[in-house]
Amino acid sequence: MIADLTRAERQWAMMILGALGIVGLAMAVAGRNDLLGIHGWIVLAAGLGGFIAFMRGKDAPEPSDDRLNEYYDAPTRLGIILTLLWGVVGMGAGLWVASLLAWPELTFDAAWASFGRLRPVHTSGVIFGFGGNALIATSFHVLQRTTRARLPDQISPWFVLLGYNLFCVIAASGYLMGLTQSKEYAEPEWYADIWLVVVWVVYFAIYMRTLARRKEPHIYVANWYYMAFILVVAILHIVNNLAVPVSFGSAKSYSLFSGVQDAMTQWWYGHNAVAFFLTAGFLGMMYYYLPKRAGRPIFSYRMSIISFWGITFMYMWAGSHHLHYTALPHWVQTLGMAFSVVLLVPSWASAGNALLTLNGAWHKVRDDAVLRFMALAAIFYGITTFEGSFMAIRAVNSLSHYTDWTIGHVHAGALGWVAMITFGSLYSIVPSMWKRPSLYSAKLVEVHFWLALSGTVVYVFAMWNSGVIQGLMWRTYTESGTLSYSFIDSLVAMHPYYIARAFGGLLFLLGALVALYNVVMTIRMPAPATEDAALDIPVQPALQAGE
Amino acid sequence: MFGLHYKIERSAIGLVTFIVLVASIGGLIEIAPLFTIDETVEQAPDMRVYTPLEVAGRNIYIREGCYACHSQMIRTLRDEVERYGPYSLAVESSYDHPQLWGSKRTGPDLARLGNKYSDAWHTVHLFNPRDVVPESKMPAYRWLLRDPLRTDDLGNHLSALRAVGVPYTDEQVANAALDAYGQANPETAAADGVAERYGSATNIRMFDGVSTRLTDMDALVAYLQVLGNLTDAAHQPNQPEAE
Amino acid sequence: MPFDHDTVVGFSKSFGLFYLVTLSVIALAWTYWPSNKKGFDEAARLPVREEEDRPWR
Ligand code: HEM
Ligand code: HEM
Repeated sequence: MIADLTRAERQWAMMILGALGIVGLAMAVAGRNDLLGIHGWIVLAAGLGGFIAFMRGKDAPEPSDDRLNEYYDAPTRLGIILTLLWGVVGMGAGLWVASLLAWPELTFDAAWASFGRLRPVHTSGVIFGFGGNALIATSFHVLQRTTRARLPDQISPWFVLLGYNLFCVIAASGYLMGLTQSKEYAEPEWYADIWLVVVWVVYFAIYMRTLARRKEPHIYVANWYYMAFILVVAILHIVNNLAVPVSFGSAKSYSLFSGVQDAMTQWWYGHNAVAFFLTAGFLGMMYYYLPKRAGRPIFSYRMSIISFWGITFMYMWAGSHHLHYTALPHWVQTLGMAFSVVLLVPSWASAGNALLTLNGAWHKVRDDAVLRFMALAAIFYGITTFEGSFMAIRAVNSLSHYTDWTIGHVHAGALGWVAMITFGSLYSIVPSMWKRPSLYSAKLVEVHFWLALSGTVVYVFAMWNSGVIQGLMWRTYTESGTLSYSFIDSLVAMHPYYIARAFGGLLFLLGALVALYNVVMTIRMPAPATEDAALDIPVQPALQAGE
Repeated sequence: MFGLHYKIERSAIGLVTFIVLVASIGGLIEIAPLFTIDETVEQAPDMRVYTPLEVAGRNIYIREGCYACHSQMIRTLRDEVERYGPYSLAVESSYDHPQLWGSKRTGPDLARLGNKYSDAWHTVHLFNPRDVVPESKMPAYRWLLRDPLRTDDLGNHLSALRAVGVPYTDEQVANAALDAYGQANPETAAADGVAERYGSATNIRMFDGVSTRLTDMDALVAYLQVLGNLTDAAHQPNQPEAE
Repeated sequence: MPFDHDTVVGFSKSFGLFYLVTLSVIALAWTYWPSNKKGFDEAARLPVREEEDRPWR
């Protein structure tokens, strides 16, 4: 990585890292009596570590100008590895919290290992660590291929990728120490939030600068989805995280909003985090990698555009379906419900578009587990959005809210859609990213596929069952008009389902480990003989230097 | 060449502008009216603020992630009202920065927990839930009794809360640490100031059963005992029926 | 009081509907505008085009 940069670029990088180290030191000093100080040391270590690495690589020879004739894939390669690592960490934490609900003694009297602290490690680990790295890695890849332009400079992609992972580390380590804002999916404290804004601005700038250098007149629709993801997440993040810190030496802050306004702001954020982080970005992935792998253009490009504007527009209104029957005014609940139901139209337009693209290529789906991952993802996307629109209806939500049904819905989307489309996309680019003829083992992809599918099915069915039972038990009356079950009765009824869910999660985690192994072994495969590579690139000699 | 380039720039920026417009207006239209809601929402003249000890307890509730399993929002449904008490009103969480309504009930709702159980029950339950509820899935929070409560920065906490809109007085801010101590040590002089500054309805007790030393347990139990008791608004007879 | 709660809510409800319909019409019209078809068809082939895997300049 360092050898790929010119001397001037190395100096820039060292300045950025030095500045980061100084910020870390300032945090460590200001927060010496507070947990903020520990995060200061982590930031300082990150800045200093990078700085030292550059000091040692400072005198490496200048890279040749030929690098500019290639796409800039090194950040994508690291992003892929980070995705898989975070996947294992996040899903491992998921398995742990799932087990805690079956066997609560697994906390071992250590505060950091209790359910309430590990749960956000799971949610942030999978959403931001696994999902976020996958989005950054693939967006750089798709952006370059669809614009036929190289990323605009050498440093900013690294800044985004590594800066983002620093954010993830601060977030996860903070939860273990008890640092959280308590807002779901926006748990990191104020200083981490500010850092993410900086990273995000640079990310957006990369997108705009690359688009400005493109050759194609049209911006391919996958980029629209990625851009909506970047832009809207920025808006959501800034508004929902507005807060006043206790002091500059304290990690703790108090949200600007309270009560019902805060609830609406939080779920406007929460629902659109689902929409623009877990949906729009991954739709971008789907709209590029699925047609590419199937070797056929998307069934209807126009439908993809309609779906895009539908999703961008309507999700924004749907957040209040998280607050049915609460102290939120009735009209806001109704509005949210109406938009959630209509939302099914653009959602199914996207799912249908993907499946219709495969129509006529089903033999490929049968033979190629990578494409099958993507096909299954589209199916689960359809199922989840149908279920979501259904759960958004007030009467249905009165049963499902607060229960495991929500958890079932979440994981139908998270495992079936988000994780499957990610694995499919990563498998499809890993060989070309490391210039290998193929993956290490197609059989292992097949194994992973069946582990993932069975894990998802076990998980989701367990939670559907337990959620509906729980919801019904809470509202069942005896003939004399009193409630039939105590709360504890319902909790006892959940026990077998919690064990089943943990088992489903274990299968899914094993699948992720298989993926990691397969990718690592692919990277370690010997590179093909140079003549082969040269055939593709007739004019210049094959470039492997610095890769 | 310039013409082509210009057009390309324009379409990318146009796309960005459209996305931002289309995406932000919806949220704005839905959220903005909520900020004028104070005009119509139930009034609660008797609304109290959290004491410094309760604020500290609330922060422990957040730190340990209790909100991940417990809601604090009783919906307007008949079975919920019968199980947990009168449904929650908007005004009741108006000093909650942020709210802790929750989205999952692995454990029961806590919006009206205050004064339902004794302090001793809470202390035992938090120390090991299975000692009092054998089937419970809740973690055992043994460290709460071990860890001393940090009070020196409570004044800063109150002024930050004041900055976001909670009406703390200068006097309350200045005496925050002392009041935290006093609330858990009823026999001391510090206790008198608490009742004076926060009203006679304030719970002033040895929450963890041990005097002098303030623990995280004191703060958390003090917070749990005030849940649902900041105002009587929800118990007034003029509320519409649950569905 | 020009900005009382009822006014704002009333505006939200009426404008919300108007806004939904207008934007849908614009999006549909633009997508199905005949002269835009060619560009879309070209764009749709972008991922599956055979070409060497390197930037254009
Ligand atoms: C090994 C696989 C996984 C297991 C065992 C697992 C387990 C769990 C458990 C036990 C919970 C807490 C449920 C509760 O509080 O009752 C949870 C919550 C959650 N998980 Fe997972 N999970 C897994 C994978 C994933 C993945 C891949 C994603 C996202 C891409 C994800 C996203 C979430 C989210 C968003 C929540 C919060 C749900 C809510 O608050 O309603 N999980 N998971
Ligand atoms: C048309 C699309 C969708 C609609 C209308 C929808 C609707 C809903 C509803 C009604 C809830 C339950 C809220 C509650 O009772 O608390 C919910 C929760 C959730 N949904 Fe969806 N959903 C959709 C798609 C998705 C997708 C594709 C995912 C991807 C992973 C997803 C992830 C989640 C998560 C993480 C939650 C839990 C939030 C929480 O309580 O922490 N949803 N959704």
